[in-house]
Amino acid sequence: MPDRPILIVGGGPAGMEAARGIADLGYSAVVVEQKSTLGGTPVHSNYAALTPDFRDASEAMGAMAAAIENRDTVDIRLDSTVTACERRGDDFAVTVETGGTASEVVAGAVILATGFRHFDPGRETQQYGYYEHDDVITLCDLEKMLKAGKVVRPSNGEPPKRLCFIQCVGSRDRQIGNEYCSKVCCGVAAKESIEVRKMVPDCKTFIFYIDMRMYGYWENEIYWPSQEKYKVNYVKGIATEIVKKGDHLIVRGEDTTMGRPMEVPMDIVVLSVGMEASDGTRAMAKLFGVEQNKYHFIETIDGCMNTVTTSVDGVFACGAATGPADIEDSVSSASAAAMKAIASLRAKAAAG
Amino acid sequence: MGRAPNVEPDHIHEKEHVVQEGMDISGHWNRMFEQRVIWDYTPELIEKVADTPGGESLAFCYQCAQCIPVCPVNTVGDYGPRRIYRRVQTGQDLFTSADLWQCTTCMNCLRVCPKEVDMIQIMPAVREKAVLDGGVPEELQTVFQNTFDYGNPLGESPKKRAAWTRRAAKAHGVDVPLMKDKKKADILWFVECYPSYHPRGVDASVALAKVLDVLGVDYGILGAEEKCSCDSQRLAGEVGLFEEFAEYTIKLFKRYKAKKVMVTDPHALNAFRKEYPKLGGTFFETIHYTTFLRDRMDELGMTKPLGYKVTFHDPCYLGRHNGEYEAPRDMLRAIPGVELIEMGRCRENSYCCGGGGGGMWLDGFMSDHVTERLSENRVREAVETGADVLAVCCPYEVSRFEDAVKSTGNEGKLVVRDIVELVVESMGVGDE
Repeated sequence: MPDRPILIVGGGPAGMEAARGIADLGYSAVVVEQKSTLGGTPVHSNYAALTPDFRDASEAMGAMAAAIENRDTVDIRLDSTVTACERRGDDFAVTVETGGTASEVVAGAVILATGFRHFDPGRETQQYGYYEHDDVITLCDLEKMLKAGKVVRPSNGEPPKRLCFIQCVGSRDRQIGNEYCSKVCCGVAAKESIEVRKMVPDCKTFIFYIDMRMYGYWENEIYWPSQEKYKVNYVKGIATEIVKKGDHLIVRGEDTTMGRPMEVPMDIVVLSVGMEASDGTRAMAKLFGVEQNKYHFIETIDGCMNTVTTSVDGVFACGAATGPADIEDSVSSASAAAMKAIASLRAKAAAG
Repeated sequence: MGRAPNVEPDHIHEKEHVVQEGMDISGHWNRMFEQRVIWDYTPELIEKVADTPGGESLAFCYQCAQCIPVCPVNTVGDYGPRRIYRRVQTGQDLFTSADLWQCTTCMNCLRVCPKEVDMIQIMPAVREKAVLDGGVPEELQTVFQNTFDYGNPLGESPKKRAAWTRRAAKAHGVDVPLMKDKKKADILWFVECYPSYHPRGVDASVALAKVLDVLGVDYGILGAEEKCSCDSQRLAGEVGLFEEFAEYTIKLFKRYKAKKVMVTDPHALNAFRKEYPKLGGTFFETIHYTTFLRDRMDELGMTKPLGYKVTFHDPCYLGRHNGEYEAPRDMLRAIPGVELIEMGRCRENSYCCGGGGGGMWLDGFMSDHVTERLSENRVREAVETGADVLAVCCPYEVSRFEDAVKSTGNEGKLVVRDIVELVVESMGVGDE
């Protein structure tokens, strides 16, 4: 029914943008978010600035939230999860639990915007000693420091003199089972490298990579400035060994363009961890019965011509729930999902 | 003067004396390289490897270079899967290249490879072809011949395979039983070649016989009936020899009843667990002697504190290949007066002694390609820890590391001992 609301699961960038689109077009939405605030991973994983435009992440997410808060047509349920769904004619009768209290939402369509989780670098192998060495951290750990305005070595609180990023941790890896490229880590590492150089100007900064995947404007907006203006050193070749020697971490790798081994002392090693389907994405895919790919992301039908329609009629997905995505991808697919969800409501109403 | 990498000598031109307009400008700056021709990039040579059963995964390489820092040969040379791929891509025929024989099949590259480029399959597959074409380094060919003729790579008399047991009798009054006489035992101890013939291998065998005797284990050895398990010959490319010997041993085992096969040599462990089943030998469970002894250390009456600082070398074929890292360490921790110090490269990232995959028999060949032996690099690392004992549990290692202790000038600083030798020493019943 066209007067039914559209249920949106997830209150991150994709979920918020979908809700705004629906409200702007005169329809109503119910946003279910498991955390106590909107904003999704950029807020809850303490992102400092967004890639690639360096906008303050909290401000940007705050603006997105403000666009849907206090609107009659957007019902935001925080601290809430979807626990059951049953089909009632064309509608979805969904149970939403908020702090132990269950309520029913009858929705005309569903948009899954349940996002991703960061790869845990200690899960599959201890190759980089993430749980062993204090000064081996992830992109998110560094974001948190950047947000706090202080980049220091976790081991001793001193500012680092040498810092490196190791790319493709948990991505493009058959042994780990994540064969895909996580798409954003190159850009995020380049962005963070610039921020590190700004905050700790005498910290020599390196990025060890296989290929830098800086498509479109990321090339000129972050890759080139990081190298040309901020003097970040890019070295082609992934380091594999991190050994603690005295006060330093010794990173062993190969500079493949020189065909030479390298052994570099570092104060901080940042692992550029990739994206995996979040627990919410896995759970909601199951609950709504939508097909997932082998990596547990939600599969959209019709290949590259349709990025939001799932295998279940009336259920759509957007953002990183469907695979690695940056914020640009997420808000784009969120708008597409809002449009297709409304179209589905109208088509059903027209059919009577 | 160093040679440019990947440029064949006959593509480099340098005149000894160059005089231009009356001025002598001799020197290396006159060196000229012939221009690289575009057809040096040869997808055919990658395909040639990939078309060889077992060699498929070489073509997967995407040049991320994660293998290079953990390749033990690269530490002392210029090597590793990424480089091999690149060289093959730019005109090197792996089948006839010196690169074919440097891999020790230690498996550290596969551990970190995101594309699963599997040198453990690629190397024996390509080497097998090279062996059939007669392109084997001579010293390795000698070992293949010895194995074929005598049943062991050392070229020792097969009749004397159990001669070491006389030393066990003399030193400890231990009578090592033969399966031929017993027909049936709880443990069939597969002694292998180096522990049967090499003087330092024999030391460890004598010690292990003493330990089994004290524990009252019902066991037997194969004696003169035993032949090499041939796993390293297989990895070095002699697949035909391996299959023949495997069939022999599988038949031999069928004659006797045993609950388990215990091996001294991790290479035999690897063969029995992973390769013999492919040839129909699935009837026995195989364990390494450290796995067998780890839980029985308190029964040995080890009363003499040794007062040693010990560092332990993980054998590639026990650790990475077969997942056993703890048993040897449990044994060492149970010995009184042993302080265990780990080397930086240990467990999953353990450094290779250089003996695997045929490396045991290629030291002469390798000396043209590396700045020092892998065993020397490892001994230096052991010395750096401040340990006075380098403990091992693979028969290739005692001799390799003892040589390396000498050649690196560390005699008197570090001794190399099999773990079971330390056990017997602590029991206060040292050999002779």
